[in-house]
Amino acid sequence: MEQSTQQQFFGEIIEQHKGILLRVARIYCPHHDDRQDLIQEIMIQIWQSLHKYNNQFKMSTFLYRIALNVAITFFRKNTRRRNRHHTLDDQVLLISADTGPGKEQQLNYLEKFINELKEIDKALMLLYLEDKSHAEIAEIMGISVSNVGTRIGRIKERIKARFSQLK
Amino acid sequence: MNEAELKNLWLATSQKMEAQFVINIKNTEDFARMKTYHLLGSMKPIKIFTILAGLLWVGGGIGILTPVYLFAFEKANKYFLFSVTIQIVLSAIALFVYVYQLVLIYQTEITEPILKTQERLARLRISTLWVTRILFLQLPVWTTFWWYGNPFTDWTLLQLLVSFSVTMLFAAVAVWLFFNIKFENRNKKWFRLIFDGREWSPLLKSMEILEEVEAYKTAK
Repeated sequence: MEQSTQQQFFGEIIEQHKGILLRVARIYCPHHDDRQDLIQEIMIQIWQSLHKYNNQFKMSTFLYRIALNVAITFFRKNTRRRNRHHTLDDQVLLISADTGPGKEQQLNYLEKFINELKEIDKALMLLYLEDKSHAEIAEIMGISVSNVGTRIGRIKERIKARFSQLK
Repeated sequence: MNEAELKNLWLATSQKMEAQFVINIKNTEDFARMKTYHLLGSMKPIKIFTILAGLLWVGGGIGILTPVYLFAFEKANKYFLFSVTIQIVLSAIALFVYVYQLVLIYQTEITEPILKTQERLARLRISTLWVTRILFLQLPVWTTFWWYGNPFTDWTLLQLLVSFSVTMLFAAVAVWLFFNIKFENRNKKWFRLIFDGREWSPLLKSMEILEEVEAYKTAK
């Protein structure tokens, strides 16, 4: 692929699928400062990997794989910084817990509970929330379709239990 | 709020955020100017350097030891000779681990399924433990280099007792650490003591990710 063509193709897919980058960053970086860095890193990796795109898969599958792999690896590099922010986020959420539940607050809790999940479970939960089919989730994650169902069921139970603790 | 409502709320806020999120496509020119950059690229030079240094060390060791074994074995101090031999053999094994790591770095593909890539990355980091285990295994050898003659006839009783005790202690510690520095013991106090510090935290995180990958692989 010529560089100018690649550049145009890259621009198009980023514009069309920028939501994937944003949502992965939302799940893996609770702090805004980290999100920009992660999105930048994902974009670099997409640019470097474009020539490896195999059109037997959906473009979104290809992009989710890159974004999630980068996010989990990025997360490992930033554990120390993340832990510091976690403490702060938890405090904020504890204070707002007394103010009564609203839609946004429910969403905050959902994000907090997702944040408590293990790294690969987070990826699975994100894909579930994005309404991806079990077959596509299986392709992105590299597990069987039945395993997808089982794992999602368990994660949902865990999150439900966390919500019920709020009442 | 039920599950469907929560899911809809998630999608709605995602769309709202997406609409506000602007990516300056002109920045892509910067990507085009970038040289090939691999996510694990920064790990390659140090691995290659270590392999080259290791090859020199092991190669040099073999070069020196071979003629001794072939032509001067009778005259050589056996304690020194066997200590150096064990040291070189263990270094060669460590070198093999570094080569394995370099292969893993080249094989790691960010476009592959999450579990496959993350397992490879975790194994890459955890294989560093093998180098540490081998390093500890060399401990007793460092106490036997200087031995000479027949310890039971040529040494004083005090010298014999101190030397043997130190060597036995180092050997016991080395063997125990060799068998116990492993994934399953990562939460033990002594393990955390050895692997405490900033440079080891990605390794501990990798262990947790590998455990998660294994759980996914074994789930039915």
